[in-house]
Amino acid sequence: MSNEVYAFALKNTLKEIKNVCPDVTNTFIFEENTKILAKDDETPEKTIHKTIEAFNDITERADTIGGDIETVTIQSTEGKVTITKMNDFYLTTVASKEADEKYVNTLTQVLIPIVIKLVDEIQPEENTNEESPLTETEPTAKEETPAYETAVEETQEQELEEEAAPEEIPKPEEAESNEPEKPMEPIKEQQSQETEEENGLQIPEPPVTQLIVENLGGLLVPSDTVRIDNALIAQWNDLYGDKEIEEVDIEALNGKTTRCKFKNIKDSKYQGKGIIQIPEKLQITLEATKGELVMVKPVVE
Amino acid sequence: MVKKKSSITETASAIMMEDGEPETPIQEDEAFTTLSETLKEIRKLKGVQGYILRGTTSATIDLKEPEKIVEYAILSSQALDSSREITELFNLGEPQHILIQGKELKTLSLLIGANKISIFMEKTADHTEILNRIPH
Repeated sequence: MSNEVYAFALKNTLKEIKNVCPDVTNTFIFEENTKILAKDDETPEKTIHKTIEAFNDITERADTIGGDIETVTIQSTEGKVTITKMNDFYLTTVASKEADEKYVNTLTQVLIPIVIKLVDEIQPEENTNEESPLTETEPTAKEETPAYETAVEETQEQELEEEAAPEEIPKPEEAESNEPEKPMEPIKEQQSQETEEENGLQIPEPPVTQLIVENLGGLLVPSDTVRIDNALIAQWNDLYGDKEIEEVDIEALNGKTTRCKFKNIKDSKYQGKGIIQIPEKLQITLEATKGELVMVKPVVE
Repeated sequence: MVKKKSSITETASAIMMEDGEPETPIQEDEAFTTLSETLKEIRKLKGVQGYILRGTTSATIDLKEPEKIVEYAILSSQALDSSREITELFNLGEPQHILIQGKELKTLSLLIGANKISIFMEKTADHTEILNRIPH
């Protein structure tokens, strides 16, 4: 998987994390080779680089605790810094002392792995085309950039170029006139279309949606049925027309999956909030509990 | 040779190292003594591999693997130095405690006044409980 694809997805995720939780003041992701993969707009590269150096000073002396460092958490008088290993990346989160630790952890340590996993799933074919990085095609455009130049910029430039003229190598000025960001949705759509073409099928690939688990209880609640937002069900119906969708596949972060029936959410306080109400029995099956994220996709047969 | 190692491990007696400067404030000495006593109790907890306590004039070390004292001490010192650098970069004030989780072990380092503590433990050990036990 090319790092540019990760960088694009992760940069947007970091931005969303900061939007949702303003107490997170800085976030960035770097690779084991110290290259910055994604960062927010506020954190200067110099600061990130110095942080990486300080972190590496610890890792170099960590043989006594098993070498590979999984997490470093620094609690200070004014806030907290957390550096967590995720796959081959390190996510750094800086939060003020007012930040809700559990909330920040849920956001960062749940969302980022999901995004990485989704990127892996959405564009597996990228693996075979990894030998075409933008950095090699554009050496002159980056004369002044330091060795630890971010992959984010590379990704954005690549995106811009693709949008400007997909079959030509555009000039940088042309690229600048385009929108700097591209929403995530087209990636899914593109993948769906590719899947259709490859398989010769007319049914689009079922969209995967992340939802937050909420408890569903009561005497008359069937244990094999989850409740999903009506708007999402409507989206599925729009996508698949007259094809009846009766079940959904749910996958928890731990990889546990289950297939079950679904109904729309009755309780208005849970509507439009990206929530899935799951009965206790199914939560046990998935080993997922309230507040965790799960991935849901409709079963279209 | 093996017997010798095991003997050191089992006795678990603290190694006291003093640099011969007797003029330390009484309050500081008291804090060091209190922390030393607390750490002795923490050392008995399940999964705790040992600790290093450094004051301004003396240090107490109790480790399961005494042959690795130097490595542990370097990691402990580096953790505190790096955390100070990082908190300065983000204007987060003074570091209070640092948790480093490795593949096999984790270490909890604390700065309490002039005293620096590093506690080494298994990954499954409850570092929050340990943190709560330390007066700071």
